[in-house]
Amino acid sequence: MSHIHIPDGVLPLWLVAAGWAGALILLWYAARRSRAAEVRRKVPLLGVVAALVLVSMSTEIVPIAYHVNLTVVAGVLLGPWLGAIAAFIVVLILALLGHGGVTVIGLNTLMIAAEMALGWGLFRLFVRLLGTARVRWAAAVSTVLTLAVTTTLLVGIVALGGGAATGRETGALDPNSLTFANPFGGGVVAVNTLRGEAPSPATAAPAPLSVGRFAAVVYTLGPIGWVLEALVTAAVLGYAARVRPQLVFGGALSALSRRPAGDEGVE
Amino acid sequence: MDVRAIDLSATSGRSRLHGSAPVTKLIAFGLVLAGVVVQQNVLIVTAAALLLAALAIGSRLPLRQVFGLAAYPGVFAVVFALAAAPDVLTGALFVMRAMSAALAAIVLVFVTPYPQLFAPLQSVLPEIVGDAMLMTYRSLFLLGEKFEHLRLAIRLRSGLSHGQPVLAAQASAAAMGSLVLYALDLSQREYDVLRLRGYEGGLRVSRQRAANPAFDASLLLAAFALFAIAAVYRLAGPALTPYSWLPAAVALLVLAITSLWRLVSR
Repeated sequence: MSHIHIPDGVLPLWLVAAGWAGALILLWYAARRSRAAEVRRKVPLLGVVAALVLVSMSTEIVPIAYHVNLTVVAGVLLGPWLGAIAAFIVVLILALLGHGGVTVIGLNTLMIAAEMALGWGLFRLFVRLLGTARVRWAAAVSTVLTLAVTTTLLVGIVALGGGAATGRETGALDPNSLTFANPFGGGVVAVNTLRGEAPSPATAAPAPLSVGRFAAVVYTLGPIGWVLEALVTAAVLGYAARVRPQLVFGGALSALSRRPAGDEGVE
Repeated sequence: MDVRAIDLSATSGRSRLHGSAPVTKLIAFGLVLAGVVVQQNVLIVTAAALLLAALAIGSRLPLRQVFGLAAYPGVFAVVFALAAAPDVLTGALFVMRAMSAALAAIVLVFVTPYPQLFAPLQSVLPEIVGDAMLMTYRSLFLLGEKFEHLRLAIRLRSGLSHGQPVLAAQASAAAMGSLVLYALDLSQREYDVLRLRGYEGGLRVSRQRAANPAFDASLLLAAFALFAIAAVYRLAGPALTPYSWLPAAVALLVLAITSLWRLVSR
């Protein structure tokens, strides 16, 4: 499902905070694990792959609110740890462009990092099972399975959030209280705020999110996106495997072995 | 997503908001976002959106791009609201929250160059993450331009004609594949450049100072006031709900005055 298109303020604070904490721990650990490879090679690679995902995500299919993600392609190229760093960068820039929500950056990072890691693992497994000649099938099947799992993860997150952030327990506007009262005529400060006011029956009962309806919509629209994403991923990885097999089967870092002219002997 | 338009506005804009210190703008953004997030009253969230729109108009930002980008998350919020909201007002709240938070973020990126936005984050994130953020920003322009050229080339060769969907899909996939290979070649070139310059990690960005400290202080004050109003409405919701039309009306007035001022001073 790639990132969560849930507006800011819908999920409860504890879930948002847990997402941020999880994402920061993952980021710190991924940065530590990535130290094994040379930093000068990783930084530009991370930059271009994150930019590639951003460019693909900017091409949306509006009627079904879907866009291509290339997260499995990025996972295959970067692997799970660098993929986690790329996921954070992509989500951060998307949030700054108003796409995905700022408070859910943590949860979105975990979602995309999971998608990249799962895509990477499943792709390698299917290539081993089906052989390198059937790279398109391996890419398509691993993409569909990855997206099915992360969509379920998304529904799980919404179910965890439940109605905590959407209830009207704080007296939010509802049809019964939609009035144009004069604060000076009635004395809003003296009468209401300081003395308090009993909540009306309409404001007392929190209205929870309909997780079942949300899951029904996501699982109805989602498979269309999974198939589109699988076709694009299969075509892209198939093309790349034909032109530069080392890139797809060994990862992007293994393919970048060239030294600049005059610098061949420098380590 | 026209990154070039955003960058042009952020780097060449001359408004007071453009001249503010990035840290001030980030703190103000955080306060506005917190105010929008904690709020359960759709009229208060609408008031915040109207004030942000007034800020965009007053700062002479490219309105078509700003409001176009802010409307985009609204599409997803509508889908989410239709799928999960228990009633119409809660659905409207989801949509307004999404659009208000997006508008706040978009105004921020339209008045602050990306490297200046990333600079404060660099100090708290692992080095590789901060450096990769700056490289992503650079690569985004190059890849975005390349992608546009590829799409144009395919279109000129009739690869995207509606009459031949299979051919169009094959051409699009080949274009995406080419873009992936181009991206990896680009990363190799950037690696060569970094290597030649002796890079060993730790790209640094010089911090921008406030052009007008008094304006920065008033910006922070206004953002704090917005957050305070949202917090008061959240805490004393049942008592203040009948008067929630007032902040929205004041915000509408501010928007009207700002729009008039922009029209007159054109």
